[in-house]
Amino acid sequence: MTLSSKSPTPLGSSRAARALVFAVVGAPLGYLVGKYLARLEDAGVWTAPVLGWSDVLALFLALLLLGVGAITIIVSASRETLGRKIDPEGGRPATSVQALFYARNGGVLALAGLMLAAPVIVRAVLDPVPPLIASATMIGLLALLLVQIASNITVWIQSDELMRRATAEISAVTFVILLGALFLWAAGEKLGLLPVLTLWDAATVMMTAYLVIAGVVIWRRGLAS
Amino acid sequence: MKNRLKVLRAERDWSQADLAEKLQVSRQTINALETGKYDPSLPLAFKIARLFGQSIETIFQDEA
Repeated sequence: MTLSSKSPTPLGSSRAARALVFAVVGAPLGYLVGKYLARLEDAGVWTAPVLGWSDVLALFLALLLLGVGAITIIVSASRETLGRKIDPEGGRPATSVQALFYARNGGVLALAGLMLAAPVIVRAVLDPVPPLIASATMIGLLALLLVQIASNITVWIQSDELMRRATAEISAVTFVILLGALFLWAAGEKLGLLPVLTLWDAATVMMTAYLVIAGVVIWRRGLAS
Repeated sequence: MKNRLKVLRAERDWSQADLAEKLQVSRQTINALETGKYDPSLPLAFKIARLFGQSIETIFQDEA
């Protein structure tokens, strides 16, 4: 049976039902949390942190990465579910090697999200950040980065040639585009034509560009199907 | 580059996952090869040719 010959109704309706449940639960919950925080701020107990555009963007990306990473890890925990995702035609259970590969991929994404969110959250909660907390956060980030690099190398080794090709393309396109874009911005900044960017702004832009370009390459190479 | 991978696979009644397993690549790679979104490396092309018992030229045709 081909994918196109399957009726989309059950999958579509279950997705719609899940979206509806999330909306029904999430909307009032968000409203109540917001109202509670506003009340705390009015009472002077809590002050809402002032976040720059790059902080908001970093938190959005972090949530996205954490969400996708968590879903990948959850799916890879069930070899039957993972098997259906990998091979919708056959639907055989995934092998333990495949499950570990996808779990590691999910872990890499979740770690990236955690690392992206940590500096923003620490700064938002404790401003100014005490040197001890800042140092501890930095050491934690360094440790997480080392774990992520090791995981990325393992994922690269276990990947097949299309996956490696796609990874190389994403890296190359991101480098070339950002090299030009950041040079132009830096030149404009030096000439007093453009506002000053911090390294955090640049890092967030780089992460955004990487994820957008990854999406395009994955779609073009048919890795999403 | 065009290829006859889908036909050859169908003749043997193999799914994309079956072929992927035999070639030790992911199912997505087979899908990308069949839909022309990816041209294989030379080692993979040789592997495919050996698996189907045909020459590379009979499986892959240059569109130019």
